[in-house]
Amino acid sequence: MAIPAKLSDECDALYTQLLAAATNSEEGLKKVFFQNDIQHLLTDTAKSANNLLPVLQELQNHGLIRASRLQGAMCWSTRPRGAAEHIQKLSTNERALYEYVEDAHTKGIWMKDLKRRSGIEEGKVQKAMAKLEGARLLKVIRNVRAPAQKTYMLFHLVPSDDVTGGSFFDAGDLDESLIEEVANLIVFHVRMSSWVEQKVPRSQPQHSIEGEGDTVAGAESDAKKRKRTADIEDSAPARKHRSRREDRDMIMTQLAWPANSHEYPSASNIHDFVTTSDVIRASKAQQLSVAEIQGVIDVLIWDDKLERVGSGYRTVRGVSFRPPGFVDEDQEDEDGEGEGNGLTQAPCGRCPVFDLCGQGGPVNAGNCEYFTEWLRHGA
Amino acid sequence: MAQNLVELCAILIENHLGDLAAQIFTTLAEHGRLSAPTLAAHANIPLIRTYTGLATLLEEQLVLHHAAEEDAPTYYSVSWRNAYNLVRHINVVSLVIERHGEAAGQVVKNILQLGHARVGDLTDAYNLAPGSKRDSGVETGAHHVPEAVMVNGAAKSQATSNQRVTSASELHSILRTLLRFGILVKVGTRTLMPIADLQEQLQEAVIVDQFPDRKVTGPKKAKEFALAVNELKRKWRRDDAFSNNSDASSRGAIKRPGEHFNPNKRPKLNGIKPNGHVINVDCEPLVSKLSLDLIVRVDFMRCSLGLRSQRLQKLAKRLLGSATGAVYGALLQALEDKVCSVRGESDESAKDDAEKVLPSADLSQIAELLDPNIDLGSSIRGVGTSKRLPNGTGTNGKRKHAIDNEFAEIGIKPEISESEDDEPTTNGLSSYRNHAKRVKMIEAHLLLLQEHSKEFCKRARAGSTSTEWGVDFETLTDGLIQAELDTTIVARFGSTHLRVVRLLRERGKLEEKQVASFAMTRIKDVRAVLTELQSESLAEAQELPKDNQRQPSRTTYLWYFDPQRAQSLILQQTYKAMARTLQRIPVERERFRTIIEKAERTDIKGQEQEKLETHERQLLREWREIEERLLTQVSRMDEVVMILRDCSGRDVSLAT
Repeated sequence: MAIPAKLSDECDALYTQLLAAATNSEEGLKKVFFQNDIQHLLTDTAKSANNLLPVLQELQNHGLIRASRLQGAMCWSTRPRGAAEHIQKLSTNERALYEYVEDAHTKGIWMKDLKRRSGIEEGKVQKAMAKLEGARLLKVIRNVRAPAQKTYMLFHLVPSDDVTGGSFFDAGDLDESLIEEVANLIVFHVRMSSWVEQKVPRSQPQHSIEGEGDTVAGAESDAKKRKRTADIEDSAPARKHRSRREDRDMIMTQLAWPANSHEYPSASNIHDFVTTSDVIRASKAQQLSVAEIQGVIDVLIWDDKLERVGSGYRTVRGVSFRPPGFVDEDQEDEDGEGEGNGLTQAPCGRCPVFDLCGQGGPVNAGNCEYFTEWLRHGA
Repeated sequence: MAQNLVELCAILIENHLGDLAAQIFTTLAEHGRLSAPTLAAHANIPLIRTYTGLATLLEEQLVLHHAAEEDAPTYYSVSWRNAYNLVRHINVVSLVIERHGEAAGQVVKNILQLGHARVGDLTDAYNLAPGSKRDSGVETGAHHVPEAVMVNGAAKSQATSNQRVTSASELHSILRTLLRFGILVKVGTRTLMPIADLQEQLQEAVIVDQFPDRKVTGPKKAKEFALAVNELKRKWRRDDAFSNNSDASSRGAIKRPGEHFNPNKRPKLNGIKPNGHVINVDCEPLVSKLSLDLIVRVDFMRCSLGLRSQRLQKLAKRLLGSATGAVYGALLQALEDKVCSVRGESDESAKDDAEKVLPSADLSQIAELLDPNIDLGSSIRGVGTSKRLPNGTGTNGKRKHAIDNEFAEIGIKPEISESEDDEPTTNGLSSYRNHAKRVKMIEAHLLLLQEHSKEFCKRARAGSTSTEWGVDFETLTDGLIQAELDTTIVARFGSTHLRVVRLLRERGKLEEKQVASFAMTRIKDVRAVLTELQSESLAEAQELPKDNQRQPSRTTYLWYFDPQRAQSLILQQTYKAMARTLQRIPVERERFRTIIEKAERTDIKGQEQEKLETHERQLLREWREIEERLLTQVSRMDEVVMILRDCSGRDVSLAT
């Protein structure tokens, strides 16, 4: 392709304007301009359609903009200046391939599709792609849906969520620690507004209980009946509590809010909290969508950490968040029965050779090692 | 019938009644219904011994019998349910003790050992009524004190049991209470008849009665026929049920000089008990006596109801706190009387109503059943502060969790005295107010239960503010089953597996990749989890070939979780595990044989402390611990079976 003459000033001005408009817009370089938009941008000289055509033609020849068709109307989008320079040096094949990749935009395009669509023979395609990649016009990304396939995308683009798998993927790999952190954060946040934390006398030692009296008094202040005063006296003075604390230790307990009176955080509340909490890297936080948070919430529900109440969520009673750097030990119910049921606590419930076990068989109740061990440990 | 259950039942019967009975049972289980001579032939037992064995089995209701006509041979078949129930004795007894006190537990335990018992014989056994001959029932019971089935030294308590029930009137009132709560039922003539035969007889009776032309086909006729059969079934059931009029012998009071109630009993009865005018025999000396010829047995159906309530209560307690759990327990207990079977009223009648009518109980009933010592106000924030509860007993002055001796400080005192005496002792107004407050707090707890995503209870009539509360047992029971499966899975495999199972249950059939993205887990890990679940038959994959070749690479696999299948699988595994655990006992006993034999020598028995060496005593203790441990585990597994099989009422694996 013949290298066109140097870009005219008029074209240059328009291009600069378009590029600026595109970079300022949300879509970035994906932003398309219709004829109206361009005419609006332009000043006096090239307002009319007649004047516009050659200008656009020239830009197109220079590879600075590309034409496409959207809903039946012509439209144009900008290319970076550096890329445009490279494009002009490309062969027809390469240029065609480049345009395919460009069309695919943030979704990326598979090598296989490229070959099929362009109809160019395989060796040439590979060669051309290697060259384009070398010129830093394209890059290979990993698609989570098809990790084995080579997927190409323009060098300057950021792959879309579909391709990366969303915020929880890091270079095509599931970012488990991020998920864990977010989940922990959600539990922390939801727990705050799920139950009223209260210290009551119990066997386990706990520290200070200050402030408790105040909350109670505050909660009660709007009620005004005769016994009222007595109650406040009962509860309010920290001194009284403290004296009792010496005899008896306090334990944390979770009190329920009265039904239908309390608003539990919803998915979008939780999303707000997570993204504004400064716990997660700002760029990540921006990416996180409500749907992704909802996904984490679902997982937490399946893990028995959260439960749905009305339109919001609260933590399952007894679930606590894990302070950073703390090994999680699932809290069990107060009965202290530990996990499992009658079946799984018995050696048979977890026996790897349970299917073989039978009277007179190679494994039977008599020679079972698991029983021996189980009985020894208990005794 | 599943091999595992046969094995388990045979072991149970062997422990309970001995070899002969077990052999007969196994033969019957393998061959189905048999007449006695055929049975004898199959089992290789002389006919006369077969009859003896059958008699023992019949006494315990482990075998059903039926003769089509007067002279026709009698056919015997096993009763799976009753055979299995041998293992449930412990749980039933502890349930009864919890609800109705030690003495009642003792009575139930004895009846359980006997299978069924005549009231007269029971009275004799307790040496309460003079005269009448000692009938076989009680004595066989004494012989059959099971070695293995009873935990916690049943034999020991047998010796002391007679001391617990001290008067005939006490025994009668206990029996009456138990009958009223349905824990005991009358044994009618049809109890030991196989269900299929019963149905046949029913149908025959209806045909003879109402369809002289014997034509019961055709849509209209069939419907009429079904209706008539059900009608008759209910009538028969009513006839067999215990009724005050026909089964009480004399209305007169039993009074004997010097016979007083045992004052120690009173404090034991805590408030979970139906606030009882029945239990309070002591206070009302006029107890009408039951007919001595009344034969009673324990109704396991009703007991599973009670056990189910316990489980639900426990779940509520875990999820919402102990006070709420207690309120829920009271509600469930109030409802138990109104639910006939585990699945509500019999299916026939329920099908007609599109709208399910939930059994319901009134708030004040719940208040009556609830332990007055439970601090209701303390576990919900600010319950007591509502304007309608003026003097704030519940205002959580210091929200203590439960039972403390500090009620006085929060002002609950008047309430306690009120509930203890069942009638207000304080002056009218304040006690009335206290009652209203209490009811209000109970309602707050119920609302909390309703709000929970499991929807533990709901108002009987939606939208109204009525004080009637109901429980949708069907849904909740399904929830219990699900929770039991979940517990098993999480304990066996881990939480990732549970996550996958739950998401499959919730979202239906999914592809591997979808599972991975929903579960937020690496696809590699998900694949491992799914394969493991599949090999344990807990998850299944449906193949969806993309072309005719059905190549694995061109096939989509949709994974799903089949709860029914998992349920029956785990049920079978539980049977097997129970059988193994029971089988382990003789193995362990062999290890301690010398010391056990020594301890059982007549000159040592009863004086182990003096006559045994220290290390021997140590060994003996060790053996007892092991035995108890194994037996406890069996009864814990029975709870799993109860949830998986008996609670839903839909399980038909034990239909006979």
